[in-house]
Amino acid sequence: MPTAYALKESNQKSLAAMYQKPKKDHRVTEGFTVKAMMKDSIVVGPSSAGSFQERPSGPTAFRKCYKRGDFPIALEHGSQGNRIAWKVEIEKLDYHHYLPLFFDGLCDTIHPYDFFARQGIHDMLEHGGMKILPVIPQLIIPIKNALNTRNKPIICITLKVLQHLVVSADMVGEALVPYYRQILPIFNIFKNVNKITTRVEEGKVADIAFKDFDELLQNRLVPKVRTHGIPVNTGDGIDYSQQKRENIGDLIQETLEIFELYGGEDAFINIKYMIPTYESCIYN
Amino acid sequence: MMSLQDIGSNGKEVQPKITSRPKQWTEEIENLYRFQQAGYRDELEYKQIKQVDGVDRWPETGYVKKLQRRDNTFYYYSRKRECEDNDVQKVKVYAY
Repeated sequence: MPTAYALKESNQKSLAAMYQKPKKDHRVTEGFTVKAMMKDSIVVGPSSAGSFQERPSGPTAFRKCYKRGDFPIALEHGSQGNRIAWKVEIEKLDYHHYLPLFFDGLCDTIHPYDFFARQGIHDMLEHGGMKILPVIPQLIIPIKNALNTRNKPIICITLKVLQHLVVSADMVGEALVPYYRQILPIFNIFKNVNKITTRVEEGKVADIAFKDFDELLQNRLVPKVRTHGIPVNTGDGIDYSQQKRENIGDLIQETLEIFELYGGEDAFINIKYMIPTYESCIYN
Repeated sequence: MMSLQDIGSNGKEVQPKITSRPKQWTEEIENLYRFQQAGYRDELEYKQIKQVDGVDRWPETGYVKKLQRRDNTFYYYSRKRECEDNDVQKVKVYAY
């Protein structure tokens, strides 16, 4: 049987240090308190509100209905990419039932649900005509849910869908005006998100479209320097996100201008109420 | 008038031949692209197989809007151009 060896004093001290609870620094305090005014106190900033934090939506009704086979659609793989084949003519579909379900699928990020939702909405808006207008009130909640995920690709797709919706039929733009207070708050948050920059090893600044940023962070290739809402000098770099229509700030500006153009007389004042920094594209 | 399947001198049916592959996009190529996406050679074959007189087209551009495939599902096409420049050479132009 091995004999027990007494631990050296230095080892005893390091073991004790390992299992010791970290001491709370009693000088740390929040701002605007009496303690913050005292000498030697350390004032910490307020905690983050999390307005840019992504909020996943969970499985959607669109996914449930698709798995049940409720949709008259099939995926066709072609040499030019995927297409939707409709088993029933779109003109004969009940828009009140199907269009809100397709809009609900905007929150999905998994293939093939995201493709079906996007392409299905596109086809139904292209061929809907006057059937779209009565369905507008039912589309607001799915649009709001998609925007509230704060997921940048989902927001980009939703903005493009909104642009298509407004121009798809007459009076749709005006019908959306009463619902601006439900969908525009997210526009206000992301309106100035134009660029995210990173600092590479030797201290150079590289401009990368936001979808590449997360990949770099995950691979720990670059440390993070995030700028929100501050115009950054790109040097001689090229911002490809603008070309590919994935720059959120520009997409929001484009969408608001389309809202104003097709929203009638009251559109601008309602947009201005929700987004005070927006300037009219008609009156300027 | 030439029919879709003409009888040749040896008594066998003559299938239309591919005359060329286009090098540049035109509106005719765009419509041919849409028919071939749906599984038909061109408008002539579509009308013969589906027994229809006309094809649904977009009024502004004249491009094909809707086609019914052989399995009776429907393909819908955009009012704007869908045939990209790198797809033009894949389109087949048939002659009868």
